[in-house]
Amino acid sequence: MAPRLQLEYFDGRSARPQRAEIQLQDGQLQLACGLQHHQYPLGSVRWPERQRHGQRQALLPDGGVLSCADAARWDDWARASGLRDSLTVRWMQNWRLVGTALAMLLAVLLLAWRWGLPLATEAALRWLPPALEQQIGGQALAQLESHWLRPSELPPAEQDALRQRFATLVKQAHPPGQAPAYQLHFRAASTALGPNAFALPGGAIVLTDALVQLMRDRPEAVLGVLAHELGHVRQRHGLRLAVQASLVSAAAGLVVGDFSALLAGVPALLTQQAYSRDFEREADAEARRCLLAAGISPRVMLDFFERLAQQRQHAASLPIAFSSHPADTERKRFFSEPP
Amino acid sequence: MSNNNDRNAADSTLGNLSGWPHSQYRKRKLDVAFTGSGSEYFRIWIVNLLLSLVTLGLYLPFAKARRLSYFYSNTLIDGQALGFHGDPWKMLRGFLLLAVLTLAYGFAARFSPLSAMAAFALLCGLWPALWRAGLQFRLANTSWRGLRLGFTGSSAGAYAALLPLYVPALLMVAGQFLFAPERPDPRAPMPLLLGLSMAASFLLMLLMLPWGVARIKRYQHGGYVYADQQTELTVPTRRFYGLGLKALLLTLLPLALLGALAAIAVAVYKPLLFWMMLALPLAYLLYFALITPYVSARLQNLVWNGTASELLQLQSDLPARPLAWLTLKNWLLTALTLGLYRPFAAVHTARMRLQAMSLMVEGDLDGWVARQSVAQDDAAGDAAGDFFGIDMGL
Repeated sequence: MAPRLQLEYFDGRSARPQRAEIQLQDGQLQLACGLQHHQYPLGSVRWPERQRHGQRQALLPDGGVLSCADAARWDDWARASGLRDSLTVRWMQNWRLVGTALAMLLAVLLLAWRWGLPLATEAALRWLPPALEQQIGGQALAQLESHWLRPSELPPAEQDALRQRFATLVKQAHPPGQAPAYQLHFRAASTALGPNAFALPGGAIVLTDALVQLMRDRPEAVLGVLAHELGHVRQRHGLRLAVQASLVSAAAGLVVGDFSALLAGVPALLTQQAYSRDFEREADAEARRCLLAAGISPRVMLDFFERLAQQRQHAASLPIAFSSHPADTERKRFFSEPP
Repeated sequence: MSNNNDRNAADSTLGNLSGWPHSQYRKRKLDVAFTGSGSEYFRIWIVNLLLSLVTLGLYLPFAKARRLSYFYSNTLIDGQALGFHGDPWKMLRGFLLLAVLTLAYGFAARFSPLSAMAAFALLCGLWPALWRAGLQFRLANTSWRGLRLGFTGSSAGAYAALLPLYVPALLMVAGQFLFAPERPDPRAPMPLLLGLSMAASFLLMLLMLPWGVARIKRYQHGGYVYADQQTELTVPTRRFYGLGLKALLLTLLPLALLGALAAIAVAVYKPLLFWMMLALPLAYLLYFALITPYVSARLQNLVWNGTASELLQLQSDLPARPLAWLTLKNWLLTALTLGLYRPFAAVHTARMRLQAMSLMVEGDLDGWVARQSVAQDDAAGDAAGDFFGIDMGL
């Protein structure tokens, strides 16, 4: 004798609840309601998922609804009738398995961050047309010029000399035809930027007058800085960061997305910082390689770091952009290592 | 209204001995209860999240169907739970369609200004239709007492409802097009006409926003159907302006106060500026954690209290202050637990919002019958609604 369950039945056409009795027999759901009798194949019914709270509703293919306010009674009947919970439901109802899911979730996130994200970025970079990169870089430069940069006040002869020396260094450090395309821009900057250089997507390298003036007696160090920026250009770090940022914020949106856009932005920012530290190390390695290839000792960079540190002490500026660079001591050690 | 009068007239002529049970003529208040639990939703959420991540998002529609089923089966109106009938496989189709559209849009927007404009225009053209489809899908797949709800708003109505929000945006684009110089010189000040047209469009947008919200809500709440009852929103537009004005004052007052304080502090002791700069993001966060729930609580009350059909009257009595505190607590705990508190926050918010609602019903629900069987096959709209964060307010 198959177990029976009394519950409320709505026929889908009227809002009136009717007392009904159900049981499973011959692979069918048998529904008896007053003088009416219906049967439905088990597979055509949408069964409720077991949970601690809430009512149980089974949705019938003809629009009818079976409703059981006493969830425990339904669960007992379902178990006795041989209705099995789905794998997902059993998973969700077990705290230990949920703990495992949480651990797996963290592992997946970690794997994605360590390998998945760089791989996905790599794939995306291969897809993106170079024109796009040029355009993003051009926009970024226009943006910077409207707020932070003015035309350079350096004598043209000094600019040309640096341009020449850097071109030679690039030629020496790369096999013919292998050097990345770059455009060197000399610009005067507001004091907030100070002695600085940066690379933009598409190959634009911006060098501030303050940096050239700071290292006027050691132009080799300026070449080292430019080689560092060329490293960024070669690895397409600018675009890489932009692509990664969009991927991370998409993933973060999945986790905390509809809750708050602000919260979703935090992980994106944090990963950005960590990744850009890795990028700085890569660019440093490129600078060191170029300097050695041009017959310049990488130790010229030590003077640069020291003067930069002094400069920073004098100007009590907010430490905004520096967290994205590795610590000075680490970089000094790297450039003072014997070749 | 005329029904009431007729009935009263009939009652008095028959000396109140009509033979009908008296209760049938009385209005009855149906309470809404929410029985969901944070810890249970946490377990559902974790497993859903893991499956969504592992399948690169393909599981999302299934996760959403489960989430809705959970919240629906725990939402009891007069002791009867809501039912969710949406087919996750259909929702997957809509989800994929939208993913493709969004990706294409994102790509076009980055490629060239012209293709970005074209994509934006296309999205603007499609969006109202998707929005309406989302409302139709969600309502048609929601049942109470075995009867499906429905949404009868027309496509033309959706476009008309959203039009006021498009007008200032269009003006802004036109201003750019007409007055922006061919080759912008970043150091030159913005051309006067361009600046004026931008400011005018922005002001217009601000002025039109309450009207726009009123139109949107009127469209939404004028299309809900249950049995033979069709709802209508009868809130005058000026009350939306009242709410907008309050929100604006609540924004400007602290801002002015903060500015004045900063000016005094800097005049007295200059290094204080540094600390104020640090505190600024916190103040920003605090502001949003408090003002957003305030506005949304007031809006929920305004809109639902004005929603009624011939025999149904919806009511909402959501207090703004407790909702603001709850939201602040949710934000803090979610941030502290790196997002793990989110399912608890969702359950607590749903409880507060839902239990503030109730229904006044005239007559006997048992006699109500479905107007027609409502079937809606296209789930694309539903995914669109979720994707772009359009919520139905409940």
